[in-house]
Amino acid sequence: MRSLLTIFFAASTLAVAAEPVRLTSDGSLKRDPRFVDGGNSIVYCFDENPALVRMMKLSMDDRSAKPVFENAAGKHHIEPAFSPDGNWISYTACTGNLTARLVIASLKEGKEAYITHQGRGGTRSPVFSPDSKRVIYAFAEKGPQQLWSVKTDGSDKKQLTTSSGVSNWPTFTPDGRQIVFSNSREKNYEIYIMNADGSNERRLTTNTLMDIRPAVSPDGRQIAFVSTRTGNYDVFVMNIDGSNLRQITNSDERDDYPRWHPNGRQLVTVSERDGEFDLYLRDVVDVNVADR
Amino acid sequence: MIDFGSFRTASCTGTNRRSFLRTAAAVPAFAAAGLPAMADIEAARKRAKAKSVILLWLWGGPSHVDMVDPKPDAPDDFRGPFGTIATKTPGMQFTELLPRMAARSDRYSVIRSMQTTNGGHPGAGTVGVTGFEESPGPVQPNFGAIVARHRGQQEALPPFFYVGRGIPRDLPRRIEGYGGGTLGKAWDPFLVHCSERGEVSIPTLKMLPRMSPNRIRDRRALMKQMDAERYRLDASEVDRWGQTFQSAYGLLTSDEAREAFDLTSESRKTRSSYGNTTFGQGCLLARRLAQAGVPYIQVNWSEYVETFTPNGDFGWDTHIYNFELLQDRHCPIFDRAYSALLDDLYDQGMMDDTLLVAMGEFGRTPRISNRASREHWQHCYFSIWAGAGIEPGRCIGESDARGEYPVSRPITPLMAGTTIAELCGVGAQERAQMKVLDGGSLIDELL
Repeated sequence: MRSLLTIFFAASTLAVAAEPVRLTSDGSLKRDPRFVDGGNSIVYCFDENPALVRMMKLSMDDRSAKPVFENAAGKHHIEPAFSPDGNWISYTACTGNLTARLVIASLKEGKEAYITHQGRGGTRSPVFSPDSKRVIYAFAEKGPQQLWSVKTDGSDKKQLTTSSGVSNWPTFTPDGRQIVFSNSREKNYEIYIMNADGSNERRLTTNTLMDIRPAVSPDGRQIAFVSTRTGNYDVFVMNIDGSNLRQITNSDERDDYPRWHPNGRQLVTVSERDGEFDLYLRDVVDVNVADR
Repeated sequence: MIDFGSFRTASCTGTNRRSFLRTAAAVPAFAAAGLPAMADIEAARKRAKAKSVILLWLWGGPSHVDMVDPKPDAPDDFRGPFGTIATKTPGMQFTELLPRMAARSDRYSVIRSMQTTNGGHPGAGTVGVTGFEESPGPVQPNFGAIVARHRGQQEALPPFFYVGRGIPRDLPRRIEGYGGGTLGKAWDPFLVHCSERGEVSIPTLKMLPRMSPNRIRDRRALMKQMDAERYRLDASEVDRWGQTFQSAYGLLTSDEAREAFDLTSESRKTRSSYGNTTFGQGCLLARRLAQAGVPYIQVNWSEYVETFTPNGDFGWDTHIYNFELLQDRHCPIFDRAYSALLDDLYDQGMMDDTLLVAMGEFGRTPRISNRASREHWQHCYFSIWAGAGIEPGRCIGESDARGEYPVSRPITPLMAGTTIAELCGVGAQERAQMKVLDGGSLIDELL
């Protein structure tokens, strides 16, 4: 009898997700969390004050946070990306009126490359290839916003897509062979997957509302993303082929910017609760299944 | 045709001052005969339901086609990336960025055929809040100054507030139509700032060290400190100082005023419903000021697009990152704050006598730019109206298939200002006496 009860309670525990863990408590507007240091830290950006969006590093041990750059010098830093080999950081830096540029910086040697294009405008959403040799990002140079690829030294800039609509949020599969991203050509953002050279594109979501910010899981089998299909911003997970959709958050307030923990079982999100924006660590459990 | 209440004549260019004088001169004859002019005056009196106006000034030019006037069937280079959702107003769709507002559209009306004459921020800003171009001048008074002058100075609280960091501006200069204009500087707005934490500060008092509304308790000490500051100024500054600090002193020594500024007396639920953003808490402060009897409060959107423009304050001016900014920051903040304010005004029983207007100085180009954003577009934009007798649940005006131009009657800032004034009891006669809003007509569809 005791063994049966033990099994019953163990099964119950598996079916119920742990409560999300609130990692920050200042409530300021936040964005772009990324796990670093093997999951022991999170780098994120937040509104330090009305005139500065600052990049911070949060320790998962003691929850203390410190600026990534001590001297931000009035420049806003957003959308950080770190190379898998730990040698590089890339981010978007706002440098003046209507101008933003992509920075690729060596964390060990201090060298920086600035990626520029014709005309003024802003780069978006950099991400490193799994071999840490290239950065993929989004930019609109002459018309529709496309995905671009460049070496870490800033050379060999290539345009990867030639699609209509707005392309954004590229992310690699762990093997580096495919890129997942969003595009709006079908009247709203949908998620697509293509080969790393831009070929063999396939659509993964079909919906009349936005599906954005895809993030591929560490094992390459799942994609977390944000959708407004519930009526506001919620986080979902689906298999890499678009099947097996699961809803991870279910709040009247906003849940956004999902990123995978290296353990592949948890996500960090920026979630708005009672009007305050903080980082939350949550298990990847379908809230609709958990509710049953 | 003479429509005294609406201040219209048959002229397609609207009523000029001469035509008004002709109309005014004819009033006694109409009145003696008991003819419709008096009925119109009576109708105007009945329309004057707004004790307070809250103008949410969406400085920078919000994109109409990415918010309340989506064009999902427009060509690729016009259509934005956002899906559309139904609202409670039959036939009216919004983009998916405004779900809370869509669920409340039976409480307000949207004008989709706004049109202005200026495509630059300071110039269009002045047109947007005065109804007239800055040049050839003189600069006309802000709608708030007109209402303030009509109501007169109150005992404790100034009649015209700006909630925000300062006077809206772009890099070269501020808008000229921010204040009293031809009515004089006495009717300039009184500036207060509200942080994302609901902490209210009065920039005027920043010259006084360690001074804040919550810390003012000892009136004698305050007066002494103010006098000390006054002696440090040269003669030319004394008058201005005196005027400003008379207002400030009245504010800070008044329990009524201090109470209006104290957002902590609101429940946590109410405060959080607005969102912990500067704009959200500013909207809550505006509601409290209206509740305290302030006739006109202009909440200036600011600070958010700064992310991409250091030390600028350009609000909705999304020349770059238009789609990202709208989905990441501006629209979620606006959707939450506007909806909370609307709900709060209803819950407080203030909707019948509070006029809530949201608009910017222009829209943005329906054609997507080469940097995947949108530029200035003065030919078509939107405004949102609620309360104080505004007929809710209407979609007024229509833009063409690409959102470039109105296909029905264009609505101008002068018409918006005239309607605001009329709803505040500043009727045609009063406007003529003040020599303001010359030629303005009512937006009849709202009433």
